[in-house]
Amino acid sequence: MTFSPQWYQQCVFYEVLVRGFYDANDDGTGDLRGLTAKLDYLSWLGVDCLWLLPFYSSPLRDGGYDIADFFSILPEYGDLADAVELVEAAHSRGIRIIADLVMNHTSDQHPWFQESRQDRTNPKADWYVWSDDDQGYPDARVIFVDTEKSNWTFDAQRQQYYWHRFFSHQPDLNFDNPEVAQAMLDVVKFWLDIGLDGFRLDAVPYLFERDGTNGENLPETHEYLRRLRKEIDDTHPGKVLLAEANQWPADVVDYFGDGDECHMCFHFPLMPRMFMAVRREQRYPVTEILAQTPDIPEGCQWGIFLRNHDELTLEMVTDEERDYMWAEYAKDPRMRRNIGIGRRLAPLVDNDRRVAELLHALLFSMPGSPILYYGDELMMGDNIYLGDRDGVRTPMQWSPDRNAGFSRADFAQLYLPPLMDPVYGFQSVNVEAQMRNPSSFLQWMKRMLEVRRQHQVFGTGAFEVMAVDNPSVLAFVRVLAGDETDEDGEAGDVVLCVNNLSRFAQPAELQLGRWEGRTPVELLGRVPFPRVGALPYFITLAPYAFYWFQLVEEAE
Amino acid sequence: MTPAARRAAPAVAELGPLMGPYLARQRWADRGQLESGTVETLDSEVVVPGPPSVLWMLVRAGEAVYQVTVGLRPLGDEIALGDRDIIGEVTGPDGPLLAYDALVDPVLARPLVRLTGADVADGAFVRSVGAEQSNSSLVVNEKLIVKFFRRLRRGPNPDVETTLALDAVGFNHVAPPMGRWRRGDYDLAVAQEYLAGGTEGWALALTSLRDLYGCDEDDPASAGGDFAGEAGRIGEMTGRLHLAMAEAFGTHPGDVGAWVSGLTVRLESLGLDRRLVERAHRLVERVGGLADPGPSIRVHGDYHLGQVMRTDVGWFVLDFEGEPERPLEERTRPTSALKDVGGMLRSLDYAAAVSGAEREAKAQRVVGERGRAWEQRNRQAFLRGYASVPGIDALLPAGDGQGVLGPFFELDKALYELAYERSFRPEWERIPAEAIERLLAG
Repeated sequence: MTFSPQWYQQCVFYEVLVRGFYDANDDGTGDLRGLTAKLDYLSWLGVDCLWLLPFYSSPLRDGGYDIADFFSILPEYGDLADAVELVEAAHSRGIRIIADLVMNHTSDQHPWFQESRQDRTNPKADWYVWSDDDQGYPDARVIFVDTEKSNWTFDAQRQQYYWHRFFSHQPDLNFDNPEVAQAMLDVVKFWLDIGLDGFRLDAVPYLFERDGTNGENLPETHEYLRRLRKEIDDTHPGKVLLAEANQWPADVVDYFGDGDECHMCFHFPLMPRMFMAVRREQRYPVTEILAQTPDIPEGCQWGIFLRNHDELTLEMVTDEERDYMWAEYAKDPRMRRNIGIGRRLAPLVDNDRRVAELLHALLFSMPGSPILYYGDELMMGDNIYLGDRDGVRTPMQWSPDRNAGFSRADFAQLYLPPLMDPVYGFQSVNVEAQMRNPSSFLQWMKRMLEVRRQHQVFGTGAFEVMAVDNPSVLAFVRVLAGDETDEDGEAGDVVLCVNNLSRFAQPAELQLGRWEGRTPVELLGRVPFPRVGALPYFITLAPYAFYWFQLVEEAE
Repeated sequence: MTPAARRAAPAVAELGPLMGPYLARQRWADRGQLESGTVETLDSEVVVPGPPSVLWMLVRAGEAVYQVTVGLRPLGDEIALGDRDIIGEVTGPDGPLLAYDALVDPVLARPLVRLTGADVADGAFVRSVGAEQSNSSLVVNEKLIVKFFRRLRRGPNPDVETTLALDAVGFNHVAPPMGRWRRGDYDLAVAQEYLAGGTEGWALALTSLRDLYGCDEDDPASAGGDFAGEAGRIGEMTGRLHLAMAEAFGTHPGDVGAWVSGLTVRLESLGLDRRLVERAHRLVERVGGLADPGPSIRVHGDYHLGQVMRTDVGWFVLDFEGEPERPLEERTRPTSALKDVGGMLRSLDYAAAVSGAEREAKAQRVVGERGRAWEQRNRQAFLRGYASVPGIDALLPAGDGQGVLGPFFELDKALYELAYERSFRPEWERIPAEAIERLLAG
């Protein structure tokens, strides 16, 4: 398998819930062998990299983010041999795999913590952050205010308090201890040796604690990330680190360092603003946040998404000066619900396929590598009555057969019931039916991914918003400078993207003078449009329509 | 005289007689002045040596004074010109020359821009916009806009003067000035940062209303296209604008007598229902009786949704020229800050009414109610935003004076609108007429 070292800049990610994807051993829960069995589907769809939620041994009190052993697989999912087989099978199809890794803390069931809590002198006594009182680091906010009163919890066994930024059953590791810093490097290398292509690093801003600070984004944390990056580059080049730092873009860029920390960071505020733009029928929610997004170092990339389980919550954004979210969202009960984690894409857009297509067209053409959430390629629905997180974690709908084709277990044995309602239920929404229907959403998605793959410019091209008088139209160009030294020798590429955010038909006048004489060729159908002249270029757009035009030097 | 100027000198003599017919083809030239008076050249100079060259001419037609930037190229040069852009043929030192409006010539655009002192790279892409309007502008690389005034007036141009003064006191909702071309008493051109990707408030308001009229929600707060956030931000910017105006141009005691005189005259001339006239007089009396009407300051003067622009970095105020048909002295005369507030509130009403009128007849009732709700919601949001600016109270009437003076300036604007609509757009007459009824109800 050969890839560019910067493969992640060109790549489409697919977030997959192992538990919910496919059950290979008929026990009602998805597993690694099930995922391996469905790689052909993912290859057919055209995704480049899978992102697996935590699959480590865990008491599952926080969806697997409470890791009880970094070196073993959750038994329901399989074992290490299954993981090795999955990685090899994926690589043989040109698909990469990254996995969630929580470095900041472990489960309180982890042997490290069990040993550390024994007494104050054991070999791992200093692996966690212990204190005789609960007064330390008072400036660090409590993140889960609903469940936790303090970042300190008393341990009866050791007769001391331990530090935790998240749940009290998730003690923070002490990264000031060189043994811990080294142990985490060993964890990383263990999985890279198995063949993982990188990690999504959960909760990175909180690794270190210092008095007089809020314990977020400390210099020591960045220093550790630089060390991690260097060690990986030395021993396992071509891997990716994707940081989860739910902060404003101007602050998140710190996690790219000078191109020597994480390769990728999520762009959190863009997601709700894409929905907001369609709701407001105007582009400013999107263009405004992009204008506030700094340039990122060479070789870095944003991770952008419409849906995943890690979305912006209002609690995360507190600075009123910058906080458009409060001003706009908090007033609108419906949008307020929508930024929560309880809904899938299709129900959010009232199952309007035109809007789903428009939002994906935006996702695929804006600066960053898109991250899809399993099932959204079918416009799968959700079940809000299952509760916050489970509502969007129902089984993947493979076919109209029993249990949605997800499992041959008894229905009652399933980890969650599949959707069965008349609109989103597996009888009507499933992979099999949509693969057979050339006009299905799934087929449309596959076609879009094909087109995107043909144009590097979507991954690494410069991004520039075009001036359009009509506020309902969002137009931008992606420009890749021509460079003979590109590995595939691709000449320069200019793609113009024009999006109608409104439910009504809209006109747009574009100033394309810089490209006078070029011919816009629509990318999905390769249809040439009238040549760009000296006057503004006039386009009409159907409701929620979008166009991707390549501006070519000569008509084809 | 420079050598280049001498070489162009013969052309001036030949161009003089061509100016009358040329001006007559321009929409920005005052037809009446052209027909009533003589056309003469007051001044000229080669400002861009060529070829192609630019001969700048100052031309008087009747009472009106214009600048004409004459492009000169050898006859036969390839250049795309509209009929209106061509001035005629003149004799050059090396043969016949074509004279035309230099502002449409892409080759001359860059040297013309440089006359303002603004920096422009040789490879910059320049396009010309609005060539038919009272100003002609060149946009450079979508980053800089240079506005060339066609008709000139002595003294500092109020737009240029105000923009510079506001920028100087740190008001950051005007496009920052980047250059200025001035000769003698005249402002000829001004360069400002170009607000790329901007949309006029009017277009955004109509987008919001279109959404409201087309959705299944009656309450504008629940509709997807809610405008209140934007209206609030426009309000805040307006408050900051007024504080900056007061800082830049000073405050003066409010002259209630001057404020009410215009309204009183207009009231008589409109032939309104006696009941309304009486109520208007009572309002005027209450204004006259205000113990503290607040100060007079320099204001925008022609403030409405079309004069504010949303960009990716927030809202901006445009165009401080005031109403161009009024004398300069009147346009820059200080008045109450509430004049601008009233202008924007009337504009919100117009947006709701104009977009509602475009809908089909059977939907009129629903549209009318929703439009009213939209106007109320956004009026309140605008006023809340305005009042939230720290220090704004110092520019407003004391006590409950705002409740008297606010409606007064809205009424003043509505009466002006009524006169205008009767003359030019009778089909819109009901918009200000209904507003007057509402303002004077009870």
